[in-house]
Amino acid sequence: MIAKLTAVWRQNRLLVSAFLLALGVTVFFGGKLVLSTIYWADPAHRNQPIEGWMTLRYVAHSWNLRPNAIDSALDLPLDQRWGRISLERLADDRGVPVESLIAKLEHLTQTRPPHGRLGPDAPADGPRDE
Amino acid sequence: MEDWARMPPQTARAMNETLLTYVADYGVAALALSCFLSCLLIPIPSSLMMLTGGAFAASGDLVAWQVIGAAWGGAVLGDQTGYQIGRHNADRLDRLAKNSAQRQKMLQNARELVARRGGLGVFFSTWAVAPLGPWVNFIAGAVGLGWRRFTVWDTLGEAIWVFGYTGLGYVFATNLTLIGELAEQVSGLVAAATVTLVLLILIVRRLQKGPGND
Repeated sequence: MIAKLTAVWRQNRLLVSAFLLALGVTVFFGGKLVLSTIYWADPAHRNQPIEGWMTLRYVAHSWNLRPNAIDSALDLPLDQRWGRISLERLADDRGVPVESLIAKLEHLTQTRPPHGRLGPDAPADGPRDE
Repeated sequence: MEDWARMPPQTARAMNETLLTYVADYGVAALALSCFLSCLLIPIPSSLMMLTGGAFAASGDLVAWQVIGAAWGGAVLGDQTGYQIGRHNADRLDRLAKNSAQRQKMLQNARELVARRGGLGVFFSTWAVAPLGPWVNFIAGAVGLGWRRFTVWDTLGEAIWVFGYTGLGYVFATNLTLIGELAEQVSGLVAAATVTLVLLILIVRRLQKGPGND
């Protein structure tokens, strides 16, 4: 058996080296995946921060926020409401740093109770006649 | 551009964020372009962009079928371009092999292998071993895999790649950061495991043939 393996190695050095290298990389990726799975198993590690590439709709969808609450928190003029635009670009358009928009939205996620209805068609704030 | 992989994580992250901002601001056009370019060895994290496209479809910023169509179209066009580049450089291989019997034999073996298994190779290179995809396209064109066969297998394979990532993005829209990292690691693992398995099969075959039968 060992003699056979040595023979294989001698005749296919390149192939066997490539195999061992690929095996090493596989083990490396496997280990990394196990470690991150352990990390993500903790719900506290799953909190996604609000970032500049997100759109308002995406923020509303992901944090379950009432669209009107976002409108009033950011004081959005009508023409900027709910277009497909990144927070980054929205901040650029308004001449404010994106961090200030993010801070306002973060504040909203922490202070507003979550709400079940999503999207711009959700009912307005305030008392409703039902 | 190829230095991206060696950048400190902070810089790479900033780059990724910029690219994701393009998905928000330019929509499916940004997706199509990034899928096209990533099939031509330009290191753009198109899988991350497809996840984002799927997530934006879930939030209502983009339309699902347009996201899928753009990514699929971009990827297939990119693969076709790679294939044509290989095809136009096919005679270089013959010139390289002209003065060496050993190289001619290698080229002959490669052509036979591609004739036998090329379709499946193209299929798996579009999703299971995606990092090898661009190379497989060049090789398929250069050693003469038929265009129709290439196109059928490539289009099918890219469908798996595109539906997989946009679907994951759609379903896990609210936790895109996690799913992005998870998908990256799983795809790396699958690619490495596939290569390992193929090499193992080659070695076992040689063992079965017995020594000195090279």
